[in-house]
Amino acid sequence: MEYTFDFNAVSLAPLLKGLWVSLELTVAANVIGIVFGFGLALLIMSPFKLVRLPFMLFVEFFRCTPAIVQIVWIFYCVPMLFDVFLDPITMGVLALGLNLMAFNAEAYRASIQAVPKEQIDAGIALGLTPVQRILHIVFPTAFRASVPVLLTNGIVIFQQSALVAIVAIQDLMYQGKSLATETYRPIETFTVVALIYFAVSFPVTQIVGLLERRRQLLVS
Amino acid sequence: MELDFSILSKFQYALRLGLWTTLKLTVICIVLGCALGFAVGLARTSRNIAVRAVSSAYVEFFRGTPVLVQLFWIFFCLPLMLGVELSNFTSGVVALTLYMGAITSETFRASLKSIGPEQFDACVALGLPRNVQVINVVLPQAVLRAIPTLLSNCVSLFKESALVSAVGMADLMFVGQNISNNTARPVEVLTVVALIYFVIAFPLTRAVSVIEARILRKLAI
Repeated sequence: MEYTFDFNAVSLAPLLKGLWVSLELTVAANVIGIVFGFGLALLIMSPFKLVRLPFMLFVEFFRCTPAIVQIVWIFYCVPMLFDVFLDPITMGVLALGLNLMAFNAEAYRASIQAVPKEQIDAGIALGLTPVQRILHIVFPTAFRASVPVLLTNGIVIFQQSALVAIVAIQDLMYQGKSLATETYRPIETFTVVALIYFAVSFPVTQIVGLLERRRQLLVS
Repeated sequence: MELDFSILSKFQYALRLGLWTTLKLTVICIVLGCALGFAVGLARTSRNIAVRAVSSAYVEFFRGTPVLVQLFWIFFCLPLMLGVELSNFTSGVVALTLYMGAITSETFRASLKSIGPEQFDACVALGLPRNVQVINVVLPQAVLRAIPTLLSNCVSLFKESALVSAVGMADLMFVGQNISNNTARPVEVLTVVALIYFVIAFPLTRAVSVIEARILRKLAI
């Protein structure tokens, strides 16, 4: 088949506008995920079963259902169930943020468990309160150990953010879709869209690889 | 608002049909994706630079772009470029297999790498020929170690398969959205759809941790 490529048909301005929205969503979701993910991790490690169970259910639910189902659910059901009407971007941030929280909580949990027992004992010996122990001993160590996984999860959320196009938030994917239908140039448009996503994700994955290698060197 | 879950009983058949499509798609892509992933995993450790570069580019590209974009690309662009008509299902299988292949190749690569050099030294000491080394020493350990991650890849794929609804394939998510649009009861329908996904994915993730613990114990001996 003869097909003439015409990349001039792809105007970058709307795509970059969309990329900006995608990045906004990603950053906001990451702030929620990194901060509240740690709290969630502490809650699912609580010694009290009644505290632990509902939060474990929350985490498992977000980890075991498709992100697109979560996003569509939050967009349609939250306004109906709770009678709150938020603007689409806030809803998108909420959906992605909750999803990321669940995944980050698991990452934190693994590294909290890896904090050596002696450090906690030292904290007790120094007379630190439980809150001080968590803030000054557990959090810094666990956070540093989690950084590679947190970064990976963060970039996964950047990719998952493309799903909000389905509920008509004007992110990169949404702009790409409308550009493709406007110009009748799906190949060129989606190729450029894919390349933009790749250009953002790839450097971050390289950084994660670098961090992990450095970590292994330090350990060995 | 009042919830009425009984309306779903009318749509049982449609939901079951959607679930069947989802499962069929998932299983086909798991089988093809694992095979592809193993081949690519080997290719990435190849001594030939060209083979290594091509396979690495493939993996990085598919891991660095959203699955939704990959799906759209394959649905709209592959037929145009190849000049053949592809059915919805075929495009879905192609897209998800390529995705599964990319993430699985990383799993196999990591498990191949985890086999220590002393194993090879032992093989040499025992005078085992090369093919016996690969088949009886390297392969069983690599596959055993890959199983937990492979299983969680399968769960990811199962979840990502919901994306095909965005390109009009009648999977569970698509059927659910249709029903919720027609009945104007999104809360009930979408909740049930989410629960169906959960009921299938959750036991699998449990199995991952059980198997992981068992394999760790076995290898530690």
